[in-house]
Amino acid sequence: MLSFHSKKGDKKVLSPDEFHFIRELTFAIRNKGFDPKEFVKKGDSYLFNFAEKNTSGIDEKRRNFLKAMVIGVGVVTVAGIIPGLRVLVPPNVSAVSSFPKSVLLNSSGSPLKASSISVNSPIIMLFNYPLSGEPNFLLNLGDSSGKPVEVPSSTVTVPQTGDKYTFPGGVGPNKSIVAYSAICQHLGCKPPFIHFYPPKYLTPAQLTAPEPDTLTAEALASAKSAKAPAIIHCDCHGSTYDPYHGAQPLTGPTVRPLPTVLLEWDSSTDYLYALGSLGVGIYPEGANGVPSKNPTVDLSSNFGSSVGDKTEVKEAENPFSS
Amino acid sequence: MSKESLSSRVSNWFKDRLGLDDLPLFKTPDYMFHVNEWLGALVAGAFFYTVISGLILLLYYNPEAGYDATETIINTVPYGSVFLYSHLYGSYAMIILAYIHMFRNYFTGAYKKPRELLWIFGVLMLVLTLGASFLGYSLIGDVLATSAVDVGAGIISSVPQLSFLLPILFGNYDSGDFTRVLAWHIILVALIGFLFVFHLLMAERYGMMPSRKVKPKAPAVYTKEEDQKFNPWWPRNFVYMMSLIFLTWGFIIAIPNALAYLNGLPQELDPFLNPKPAPPPSSPLAAQVTTYPPWFFLFVYKIADFTSDVVLFLLIGVIIPLVYLLLVPFIDRTDELHPLKRRVFTGIGILMITYLVQTSIWGDIQPGIQVSVAEQVLAYLPPAIIVAIGMAFLPYREKGSTRTKVPMFKKAQFSSPIAVLLFMILAMLMAGAATLFLASPSPLSAAIFLPILSLFVFYAKALTPVAIKAMPQGDSSASDSTSETINSTDVIKLERKKRIATYMIGVLLIMSAIIAADMWTIPSTGFESNMWGIDLGLLFIMLGEAISLYHYVVYKKPNESYE
Repeated sequence: MLSFHSKKGDKKVLSPDEFHFIRELTFAIRNKGFDPKEFVKKGDSYLFNFAEKNTSGIDEKRRNFLKAMVIGVGVVTVAGIIPGLRVLVPPNVSAVSSFPKSVLLNSSGSPLKASSISVNSPIIMLFNYPLSGEPNFLLNLGDSSGKPVEVPSSTVTVPQTGDKYTFPGGVGPNKSIVAYSAICQHLGCKPPFIHFYPPKYLTPAQLTAPEPDTLTAEALASAKSAKAPAIIHCDCHGSTYDPYHGAQPLTGPTVRPLPTVLLEWDSSTDYLYALGSLGVGIYPEGANGVPSKNPTVDLSSNFGSSVGDKTEVKEAENPFSS
Repeated sequence: MSKESLSSRVSNWFKDRLGLDDLPLFKTPDYMFHVNEWLGALVAGAFFYTVISGLILLLYYNPEAGYDATETIINTVPYGSVFLYSHLYGSYAMIILAYIHMFRNYFTGAYKKPRELLWIFGVLMLVLTLGASFLGYSLIGDVLATSAVDVGAGIISSVPQLSFLLPILFGNYDSGDFTRVLAWHIILVALIGFLFVFHLLMAERYGMMPSRKVKPKAPAVYTKEEDQKFNPWWPRNFVYMMSLIFLTWGFIIAIPNALAYLNGLPQELDPFLNPKPAPPPSSPLAAQVTTYPPWFFLFVYKIADFTSDVVLFLLIGVIIPLVYLLLVPFIDRTDELHPLKRRVFTGIGILMITYLVQTSIWGDIQPGIQVSVAEQVLAYLPPAIIVAIGMAFLPYREKGSTRTKVPMFKKAQFSSPIAVLLFMILAMLMAGAATLFLASPSPLSAAIFLPILSLFVFYAKALTPVAIKAMPQGDSSASDSTSETINSTDVIKLERKKRIATYMIGVLLIMSAIIAADMWTIPSTGFESNMWGIDLGLLFIMLGEAISLYHYVVYKKPNESYE
């Protein structure tokens, strides 16, 4: 395509491209068998065909240059996508075949001393076990006067299935320390909606307390008849568990006890270790899940990773205002 | 033949082997290379992106633990969040573009003979798209998804004859098993793909809808002889299509990742603007989430507030509009294509858009609040009256009568000193509103920012020619060259623009190289990986833009007017 300088009245001026083209064409006419007789016979069309065959042409060159640049952008895009191909490589799931033995740490990162856990603490103390994202209560149980009580071994019944298992009892210097899953077995509510009610708060005053500390009359009555000085109660729908007897359900709607975390106390160091889980499966994350009867099923889950050989106890909060 | 370049030899090899010249691919006239005519390609681009990203997600998704799987994809799969969020926004883009594509063709009368079947397939694909999107949305398993399924299941089960559908559609969704929903999601998408093949082949067979200036009456198709003169599908059509598809992909990837990267967006905000899932239904936090259906079903959700009679509700919200759209080629039987010669149908179309937008916004602001009949009349009668009056009295000018285009504002008005001062104030307001919006993104700050932004853009656009070209003020006749002959100044102007376009491709090459190098340094998980997504989106935008500029330089002719 010919181009001219733009101002009106200007003379036509050759662009460098055109100059190059003309040189190429004259060279071709001289050396590549241009037939003047044919030209006279066929006229313009012969010349155009000849030029097209024997010169690279302005457009062709420019077009190839553009093509190269666009292909360049395309290649660069592919180069940018390449690290994204890692999306096809599945992330390494640290498969756990058995429960890890995890030492409980305090918030400063050193092992937690069993004797330092206060009795009947209203503060919610949680640690993740066996997978991250699975919180458990750590409780040092006492009687109504605040003295630690020995939690004996007992038999726990799963009302849903009628299965029974043996809760091993408390550990620690006074055999009063227990740990249970902190995810309600009814619909998976988590603290602070489910938490421990020390004897001090197991009173009718809590019937009118604001959420998440509202007890139901049914829960109070059941605690009284089971002679439990303290209970674990879920504010979402009112499920009540007896921490002194392996978190046996006291009131519905739950039909399963809270799974027990097996604890070991090292008397020489006063450290606590989590060893495994007992009872039913931990309530699964996600939509309306139904937990398994078998607590080890949880370990083969593809989601979540093992806490490893240590897990931190967090003092989440004190839900009671007074 | 000896001097054929390598690239044209490769191109010819493919053209030959694929038989591109023999396929019934539409040859495109010059004036059709504008995005208006290519809305279908944009929808298809969004569809292909969503399919590709969806297949990647399928490698990881576990229907037995929907919420966990979603969280795992977002948090631990390399670039998982990039693909998940863009998959979501790809479907959003597909829905919006499908609506635009449909209504554009509705108003141009593209459903008329011989494209009736093409239109019907398109409407069916829209229904399938909405269905597949709903099911895909349910796969997240968060509280919004489960409540959306509850609402959907509730609607179905309240018609006793339909409740047999529930187990067929949802299976054991309530107990956390999403296998069936996943399967239906894939089946519906496969059906869309199946219909798409026919939709595309028919579109190629009849060609794109010609301009009304060329074919003013209903069977609007080019004859074989006319068609032969147009640009062959390969390569111009292909090049233009690729540029549009890559641009679509770029925006689909860049926008959600940018939203996720600006993690100031709170979870409770409109689900439309937040690609992250809400809490699971079992979480206590779920109680604090206002349940919403996905935004593209907000209109149905609001109509449910109008009446307690489910059959009536289904009729108003779903069946009547759908049946109307399916049958419109057979109701509107005239051969007129101009919207003002089909006033009833144009009016219905405008009302459908108005009601769709109006009801969706209403459903967003007041979800689940009962609406009395009086309020319904108050809300829906005025648009109908306005449209009816407009359709009745809007004058239609025959072609050929002298049309003097009266510009709404004279360009000169924009460049008076006072106007420029006003523009500067507007610019400062815009900057302030933008800062406010970025600092505290909320519907309110968006509501302040967006109008000012649009005003600013409008003003800036009007002012640009004055500012850049130093256009003589008040003179608008200079650019008015309607003659068919190619004017040599036009050629020169075009050549100059092409030169600029060439430089721009060079700039894009350099910029994309920088971005691609940066992408190798970004961690593959966590919130930084969304930066990689933004970069990927930008790369596609630049690739699309480079191809578009290439198309401009190589194929654009000086006399391609937009008709």
